[in-house]
Amino acid sequence: MPGWQALHETYEDKGFSVVTVALDTDPGQARPWIEAASPTHRSLIDPSHITDELFGFNNVPMAVWIDESGTLVRPAESASIESSPLRGAPIPDDLPAPVRELIGEARQIPDIAAQYRAALVNWIEHGASSPYAMLPDEVIEASLPRHQSHSEAAANFELGVELLGRHGKQAAQPYWRAAHALDPDNWTYKRQAWTMETTVEGEPSDLFQGPTDVYEGSWLGDVKAMGGGVNYITKPDFVAD
Amino acid sequence: MVCMIVKDKHVSASEFGSRTGWELKPQGLCKGDMCVPAPNVANSQGLIDVMAAAERLNMAVVTDPATAISAIGPEAMGHSLTTAVAPELELADVDGIPFKLSSLHGRKVLLVAWASW
Repeated sequence: MPGWQALHETYEDKGFSVVTVALDTDPGQARPWIEAASPTHRSLIDPSHITDELFGFNNVPMAVWIDESGTLVRPAESASIESSPLRGAPIPDDLPAPVRELIGEARQIPDIAAQYRAALVNWIEHGASSPYAMLPDEVIEASLPRHQSHSEAAANFELGVELLGRHGKQAAQPYWRAAHALDPDNWTYKRQAWTMETTVEGEPSDLFQGPTDVYEGSWLGDVKAMGGGVNYITKPDFVAD
Repeated sequence: MVCMIVKDKHVSASEFGSRTGWELKPQGLCKGDMCVPAPNVANSQGLIDVMAAAERLNMAVVTDPATAISAIGPEAMGHSLTTAVAPELELADVDGIPFKLSSLHGRKVLLVAWASW
């Protein structure tokens, strides 16, 4: 959040705005992060993850670029403008083995921050003539797949959110399990559900995320199953291997 | 955008449009520059038969039997984007103040999804 806010401040006089959307079914979990960043950019809450359906996000952080005419010039892809300071820090020996393993996988996630920021700034300054701005057909073609199973997963996820609000967590669980099975590539559905089970009341959202008794899988287990953190993100095509 | 339906199998065309992004036009249901022919989805009062429209647009429908609440998924047409025209996005901030993405027309926008988890 502080990074996106700083980007907004730096370039808002050049006709550029940042909009951040928190995919948090419990908005109270996002509030401390938002208040700490004191955003002057638009900082929104998306309890039902509708931006997944509208733009094709399936994890965070991801972003789209929209030009002055309201046309997408890049589809949903992983976004980062600052490297995590945790990347280089040593992993303390006294942490439990699964936590050490999780940090190890997280460090394998490709660091795209420098290339992403450079590409974004190039577009802010050069607009349609930037090599990073895609044409409409290219944007559609590069957007993530959407088949019947994805649509069914989205409907199950949102039905779960609705039932959660009316009848509590247990009412949501069968629909969220269905969403996970139908669209296992969607991390926002999985991470939202896992963290809701493992977060202690009144505490920040749990980042360890499973395993739980309620849902299959866990962040660490699912990342390992996909071949490790190196495969975790939707890398923009301008990021070198 | 997903459409929540509470026992209501017909909605106005404007409600369907604002919830799904698909507008009823003479040539059918349209989103951005894409249109899908949709004969017989609107009745004589101009109300849209949600189930018929969902079928035309290849949207999944999931119903909770205990509450009879249904949710409709987004159109499944091969890619998550069917048009490069940015959809309208209406969400509130943490204090409940509403915002429309279209209000930033004329500016470049980076729309970033993040989460506390």
